[in-house]
Amino acid sequence: MRRTFTHSFLLIVVLLAGAELAMRTFYARGLSGRFDYGYHPTAGFQENADGSVNLVRAGGRKFLPQQYRQRKPDGTFRIMVVGDSVPRGPSLRDAYAAKVAELLRQRGISAEGWNLCLPGYGAQRCHIVLQKALNYSPDFVIRHLNNSNEYEDERERRRSQERRDWHPNNTLMMSVLVRRLHEIKTENIFWPLLPEKIRAQQGVNDAAAETAASMDEERIRVWKERVRDFLAQDIAACREAGVPMLLVTQVRVRGSGKESTMDDSGLDALAESFAAPDVAVLSMKQALSALDFVPLFMDTAHLLPKGHEVLAGAIVEKMDRTGALRQTGAAVRKP
Amino acid sequence: MSFTSWEFAVLLASVFALYWRLPWRGRIWLLLGASYFFYGAWDARFLALHFTTTIVDFYAALAMERRRVALGKVAVMTSLPALWMLGCKAVHVQGHDVAWQHLVPVIALPVLFCTLYTLLWRVPEQRQRKAFLLLSLGSNLVVLGFFKYFNFFADSLVRALGVLGWEAGWTLPHILLPVGISFYTFQAMSYTIDVYRGETKAVADFPLFAAFLAFFPQLVAGPIERAHQMLPQFSTPRMWEPAVFHRGARLLLFGFFKKVFVGDNCALLANYAFAPDTPLNAQWALLGVLAFAVQIYGDFSGYTDIARGSAQLLGFRLNHNFRLPYFAQGPSDFWRRWHITLSAWFRDYVYIPLGGNRGGTFATMRNLGLTMVLAGLWHGANWTFILWGAYHGVLLILFRLVPPLHALESAKSAPRVFLGTGLMFALTLVGWAIFRCGSLAQLGDWFAAFAHWDGGGAAGLSKPAIGEALPAAVQSAAVGWRSPALWFAIHATPLALLQFAARRRDDEVEIDHWPWIGRGLLYGFMFLAIASSTGGEVEFIYFQF
Repeated sequence: MRRTFTHSFLLIVVLLAGAELAMRTFYARGLSGRFDYGYHPTAGFQENADGSVNLVRAGGRKFLPQQYRQRKPDGTFRIMVVGDSVPRGPSLRDAYAAKVAELLRQRGISAEGWNLCLPGYGAQRCHIVLQKALNYSPDFVIRHLNNSNEYEDERERRRSQERRDWHPNNTLMMSVLVRRLHEIKTENIFWPLLPEKIRAQQGVNDAAAETAASMDEERIRVWKERVRDFLAQDIAACREAGVPMLLVTQVRVRGSGKESTMDDSGLDALAESFAAPDVAVLSMKQALSALDFVPLFMDTAHLLPKGHEVLAGAIVEKMDRTGALRQTGAAVRKP
Repeated sequence: MSFTSWEFAVLLASVFALYWRLPWRGRIWLLLGASYFFYGAWDARFLALHFTTTIVDFYAALAMERRRVALGKVAVMTSLPALWMLGCKAVHVQGHDVAWQHLVPVIALPVLFCTLYTLLWRVPEQRQRKAFLLLSLGSNLVVLGFFKYFNFFADSLVRALGVLGWEAGWTLPHILLPVGISFYTFQAMSYTIDVYRGETKAVADFPLFAAFLAFFPQLVAGPIERAHQMLPQFSTPRMWEPAVFHRGARLLLFGFFKKVFVGDNCALLANYAFAPDTPLNAQWALLGVLAFAVQIYGDFSGYTDIARGSAQLLGFRLNHNFRLPYFAQGPSDFWRRWHITLSAWFRDYVYIPLGGNRGGTFATMRNLGLTMVLAGLWHGANWTFILWGAYHGVLLILFRLVPPLHALESAKSAPRVFLGTGLMFALTLVGWAIFRCGSLAQLGDWFAAFAHWDGGGAAGLSKPAIGEALPAAVQSAAVGWRSPALWFAIHATPLALLQFAARRRDDEVEIDHWPWIGRGLLYGFMFLAIASSTGGEVEFIYFQF
């Protein structure tokens, strides 16, 4: 009599079960909060026994890999930049977080520039990152303000809540292997290869309806309120920790060539409404308007390394002017 | 209840677990109950329609063999649809309300059928068989015609009158199309025709006949089975053996792979390209129709494999519906490979009765054309389906009349086989464009797109801020096609490779000649491909037919 289960069936059961077991055993730490998509409270700060902290990932998005001491070394001026893909920059070295630290070091300040920026992070997820970051004693927080990521925040929140219950449709997703594969396909194949118009037609579990959603007046109002609310919470948290802040407001380039203009999408007014002695504001629009700004941008929003360099200079100048560097004991404003 | 829903998985697993533990008679009742539950899960009201078809054909077939049933029994049975509808009215399912006008035909059914049944028994014996056959065919075609084509023909009539200057102020009722009606009515008609021809014995066992006509794996989208192949499988107990389980499970895996991984993912591109407001360029017109060709094959052959696999788990063998159709060298070859059970149905019950190829060239061409137009109309009540059928009819005629084309279809040498296959695939794509376009105007736009080989594309945009729309020029432009083409390749290539590997076996599922390690790895790949593609449930294309 023939076997009930064939060799090929048993082979695949063993392989899949083995892969699942290996992932759960050897990558348990990396999988912690893996499917929370930025809504996990530890937010990607991996603390090591030797006293260091690795910036790994927050939810499904990777920080640019960095390692610092959990306890701030004496005499170090620790700056943390929290934001989305614009301040994240093309690389760690070329982003303005590193360039600000570099400029300060040139002035003799022992500065660290933590790049806590993640692509697609909106107000709510930036707030989660900031809350965790405050545990590592920053001296200064730069909150890069943008308002184009609220859809992603909402989508990722939905994703983080999905497939958690015991609905029969979620059975396969109980497997870490399958869920990770599904995630890889969604993020690395589905989103990049299919334009928004096509994804919008599917409309389920999808970034796609972004454009349509962005035209919905009620949703726009809710999103704008959310950006304001979370910014207020960011400021309150920093104030409670005694950390001064700088709000850097994003711009978008409109038009092309010599006709180009910069649009702050209302962010300057929003940031100014929170201005206070411990909350400075730097408008990218104002900082760059005196320059030939078009060559500084790689697209309508993201900066090239040269743009980061210019912005870093403006930030240091602003820090200097607002007295944020006084506590370092080494800050001397250059003429 | 869709094959890709968890409810179907639970139903199939439950039926499988119970089925092999029951005695033969219990299995028949289990299959009948499960099939009615499966069908009723869509819309319980339409079960009354299915009962009607079953009852009418059951008694008509018996009468053709001069087996008369007591009128009281016939009256009780024909009252079942009315009782069912009254039950539905009493239960009040949201969105599935039963209005009084729905009850009129089912209440009239016992009176009408019993009257006709009595009258037809009085017809002279030599004409009686034909009379009962006409009763069966008439009732099936009236039901099919009303539910599937009434809106189409009535709407066409109103438009035609409008063209002639008569404004008909009729308010046409919106008639819902019962799922799978074309499939089960065709199967029912093939049964009564076969009984009339003496090719099949009429079944006297009502539950067995009802289970045959409602068999859930093939109820809503085929394969359209023949009574002489299926009824013996119902009337003799199926024997359990592991090979049955292996084959059934493999068919299910292949079916889900074709449907979920291949079909549904290619559907994203096809749906975009054939959406009425999509600005098309030539690249998108081509990519869209290629995606649709792979989608419809993945979708329908995937459905068929799931149906065959489900039936196999219960010990039944269903017919093949596909044999690598895109390897066809000509239209005749194509229809021997595509939706085989429907092609065979039209051949046996339409083309051959019309005279087939026995009446000279003109008659053959006429019969081919007429058969294909009807086959197109079978797919749906739309002029594009009729045109699609006519197009294939023209292809069949051309490949018969034009000697080089005729030679190409039967060529054996590799270059000519390659040429024939390539030509037929290109012609098939044109056919799919006709099939997929929602209107003749859209079809015109699709053809016109080939005059625009511009790149199109909205690349390089960053996200809009809150409340900010994309520029109108960008919104109206065709999106870039290269990345979507890669998406298409990712999902179509595994199927193409499978087909190539199985080209000498006619069925991708036949991989017994592979080493067991290769089979295991393939199963693993398919499982992960399915699992990583699960999104929402996407309905099967052929359910609407």
